[in-house]
Amino acid sequence: MRDTGAPSPLNDDDPQWVADIGDDYDMPADVDASFRTVRKVAVGHFVVFLAVVVGMPVLTLTVDWWSGGRLIGGMSPSFVMAAFGLYVFFFALAAAAATLSNGVEERMLGAQEREPADESDDA
Amino acid sequence: MTVASVIALAVLLLAVAVLALVLRPGRASTLEFYLAGRRVGVATNACAICGDYFSAASFLGVAAAVYVSGLDGVWYATGFAAGFVPVLLFVAAPLRRFGEFSIPDFLGRRLGSDRIRLIAVCVVQLIILSYLVPQAVGSGITWELLVGEGVLGLTPYATGVVLSTVAITALVVLGGMRGTTWTQAVQFLLLLAAFIWLAVAVLGSGFSYPDAVSELDSEPLANPEYAGGEWGLATEPNRLDSGESATFGEPGGRYGPFGQLTLMVTLVMGTAGLPHIMNRYFTSPTGTAARMTTVWVLGFASLFYTLAVLLGTASRSLIAKSVEGRPWLAELTVDGVLRVPEHAPLVLGRIYGGEAGLGFIAIGALIAVMSTIAGLLLASAASWGHDVYERHINPRASQRQAVWAGRGAVIVVAVFSAALALGLRPDSLTALFPSIVATMVTWAFALAGSALAPVFILAIWWRKTTSRGAGAGMITGAVTAIGMFASASLVTDQGVGEILLAPTIVAAPLATLVTVVVSLRTSTPKDLDRLWLRLHGTAADRRAARLARLTIAGVGESRRR
Amino acid sequence: MSKGSLPLAGAMVLAWGLVYLVTQRVPDPPLEVGVTVLIGVALTVALTIGYPSALRGPRKPRPPRQAGRHGRTIAAVGRSMPLRSGLTTEAAERAVALLHPLLGGDAVAITDQERVLAFVGPGSDHHTVGDAPQTESASRVLARGKTTVVRNKAKLGCPEPDCPLRSAVLAPLSIGKRVVGTLKVYRLDEVPPSRELVEGLAGILSLHLELAELDRERKLAVDARLDALRAQINPHFLFNTLNTIASKARTDPEEARRLLLRLSDFFRYAVRQEGQLVEFGQEYYFVRTYVSLEQARYGDRLNVRYDIDPQVLTANVPVLTVQPLVENAVKHGIADKVDGGTVSLKARVDPLTRTTSIRVADDGVGISQEVLDRVTSGDAANGGVGLSNISQRLEVLYGERYRLDIQSHDGGGTVVELQIPLR
Repeated sequence: MRDTGAPSPLNDDDPQWVADIGDDYDMPADVDASFRTVRKVAVGHFVVFLAVVVGMPVLTLTVDWWSGGRLIGGMSPSFVMAAFGLYVFFFALAAAAATLSNGVEERMLGAQEREPADESDDA
Repeated sequence: MTVASVIALAVLLLAVAVLALVLRPGRASTLEFYLAGRRVGVATNACAICGDYFSAASFLGVAAAVYVSGLDGVWYATGFAAGFVPVLLFVAAPLRRFGEFSIPDFLGRRLGSDRIRLIAVCVVQLIILSYLVPQAVGSGITWELLVGEGVLGLTPYATGVVLSTVAITALVVLGGMRGTTWTQAVQFLLLLAAFIWLAVAVLGSGFSYPDAVSELDSEPLANPEYAGGEWGLATEPNRLDSGESATFGEPGGRYGPFGQLTLMVTLVMGTAGLPHIMNRYFTSPTGTAARMTTVWVLGFASLFYTLAVLLGTASRSLIAKSVEGRPWLAELTVDGVLRVPEHAPLVLGRIYGGEAGLGFIAIGALIAVMSTIAGLLLASAASWGHDVYERHINPRASQRQAVWAGRGAVIVVAVFSAALALGLRPDSLTALFPSIVATMVTWAFALAGSALAPVFILAIWWRKTTSRGAGAGMITGAVTAIGMFASASLVTDQGVGEILLAPTIVAAPLATLVTVVVSLRTSTPKDLDRLWLRLHGTAADRRAARLARLTIAGVGESRRR
Repeated sequence: MSKGSLPLAGAMVLAWGLVYLVTQRVPDPPLEVGVTVLIGVALTVALTIGYPSALRGPRKPRPPRQAGRHGRTIAAVGRSMPLRSGLTTEAAERAVALLHPLLGGDAVAITDQERVLAFVGPGSDHHTVGDAPQTESASRVLARGKTTVVRNKAKLGCPEPDCPLRSAVLAPLSIGKRVVGTLKVYRLDEVPPSRELVEGLAGILSLHLELAELDRERKLAVDARLDALRAQINPHFLFNTLNTIASKARTDPEEARRLLLRLSDFFRYAVRQEGQLVEFGQEYYFVRTYVSLEQARYGDRLNVRYDIDPQVLTANVPVLTVQPLVENAVKHGIADKVDGGTVSLKARVDPLTRTTSIRVADDGVGISQEVLDRVTSGDAANGGVGLSNISQRLEVLYGERYRLDIQSHDGGGTVVELQIPLR
């Protein structure tokens, strides 16, 4: 990381690097579209998240097995979920939501990936 | 004991100081900044966020809460981790893309109003203060156990509070105004290492997690209580099943029917409004990277809290068995149960690693405290120096003046929080709350989740949000939350008390409602499309990514040459 | 139906198995039956609802599909059969290897009209692949299209004197009445192999070749329609856009540069796109490019509203179908309306019926019946992109399994709805 010996190949605000790509502007309608699609993704995942998080106390109150049963050794299903299960769930949910929203934005905004040949044409 | 500990502490402070001053990225960061879209950058930033986030509440508090109330204490850990899910879904990427300096600045720009910026500064300062106090308390507790002696006529607890505050304030004021990303990241890795070491030591000694739970479950949960002039164990009543006594592995040890839900909602909503965490997102290179950073944070948090819960369980099971033959432990316990539950990981460290083990865990705790305090003080400095001083008091301030304003604010805020921490005696409050440190942090979460998070999320996702609406919403949320806290002490009914102590479940919807109603009655700013492009468009991200590619290509070429 | 439902069914079985295991076998005491069933049902519902996202998986841009080029219909199944993909060297080699043990000959060869495509068995040292068929009998068969039995070496007419082959049966391979090659079976003694067997197998191979030819023709037809569509790119659109750019070149050079780049993107996509199917995301990009160019011209009069499900972005749609629909909406709906209007594009995936539905609506002037007829009949005279072109291509790609509806009222806007099978 600390590779400062070589002269910096570019300057932050050197405009020549920014110019001539043509992909540096979003149309309001496009942004609105991707905004709404990403919002769908976020709300959808949030509903699942909320259902599971709220489901825990609800299960505690309604199903005896949830806190009385024995799943792994002496741990009740409720304890297993609180100690491991929920973390796995959160992580999986987060990873899915992040890749999905990033994928959506990548497809709905900006130019599509161009062939390398064109890249050299542009540059 | 004291000599070794003091040496350890001195080494720690020196190391942190050196880290802060040496590892701070300088001009090399142009390249680094643009490269940060790669995995290294994302992981580093995630570590830094964890360093800010994992405070004494996580390091000592979660294990303590599990120690005291068993399963019901685990929900703290779950809530702390879960808080990043809404951050990821609703906040991370747009916040980064809008790219201001701080939460008040973000709201001010987004809603086009200076007044909203000032209201937000007030709320942010309140949150920071209520987050700082438990950190100071945590360091006091750690000092008490690690050193056990006061300096200059102060009690050991007070010494811990004062020393840690002074040390970290000095560091922030002198060194780390600019990016402390690297120090925070390294500090987080240290804490994680401390926990992993302890967990490995505990598991290596033949400790079986499931068996311990079932063993603890076989008898009712009892905690020390100071009654009739002496300490004795009192059985915890089961809050779900009146007449029964609570056990470790089953719910009811702490919360009644609604307590668990309200706590979860409070912690889940709160993270999205924590100023020192949100400020970290502005250092992410792109919005896309901000999202991936959050995924990493969740991964780290999951690992960390799994270990914390394990250690809490282990200390409940092992400390009682270890009292025999350890006079120092007998002093801290009543019939094998710790009087101050925050001592749990520290005691466990000493049982397994002797003096060095205690020192290692204590250093972890102090680092947790210090990195969080540093993050909070920086956030506070940013909001005073940038949002108030530069924007309102002295708009033509030079960079230097703004920095000095921030430094002044840091000192004032630090002194204030230390004073509050000194006013609290953890021993006297233990009976009231499962873990005083974790509980106090909950207040900060409640405030953040009630006042900031709803307005924040609405401002990002609802075009019609107006500054008046947001202001009304924030004030409503803050007032409701504080009011409910204040009235909690007056209410004796346990069910209502639970809700009052974790007020987000009431305050956040109220704040949302007020924001929506008031916003609908006022007119929205005109250049909304432009704001929207900044908030949700990826043009800037793409430019940054392209520059990164060019940079890498350029570096590759120059190397080949 | 089967392709996507099978994994879903598998997931259900797995979920129920897991529920059973976690609630009944592992824990002590087991969970009551009622609650277990409830959990199972909840999980089933969640799986069914969550199915679309699981179906598409995490999104990373995939390399552009090449498969579309060969047509993705019956050909995929037939490709495993020799000669199903046409009379090529590779296919002939596989066919010969497959047939050699069946035919009761010592050597087997397949030729087309000019050269030997594959030869297995003794004599392969001089009957080499790629050479012209050396025997006279071969040219006879090619010329007459009749099976020939050769019983001695002299009649076989191999120019090589040491050739071990003594007798042969030569059967023509034909597409319709046209002879395109021969199947030859040789023996080392004077008893030729069974004529009926060779003739019968040659007949089967011919049938395969015929099917291959049909496939090719069908693909050619679709390609031709696509080419026709590309050639139809409205010259008015180009003129108008260039005029807009020219006028902006002075007032707002930055905007003009941007538009020019978008125009180049537009043509790049229209011309370079290969294959019949693309990801919706790419087609959507084409639509966006088009709309932003039109917006530069119409200004505030043209509004668009996209409503797109995340799952649609990776679904495959026929290339150049969505943009023409939008173009029609702009041209026939908004262009003639004085105070402008909104075009909305809505795209959804229904995971259960496994269809992708795309709906383009405008609140413009609507299309009169007369114009509607012209548009649907593919008359390009008015510069419109014929809907008939799209529906013809859809017909070839999906047969009966697609729907294309147009509803329009004079003055009340137009709605075009397109439903195609997923994948």
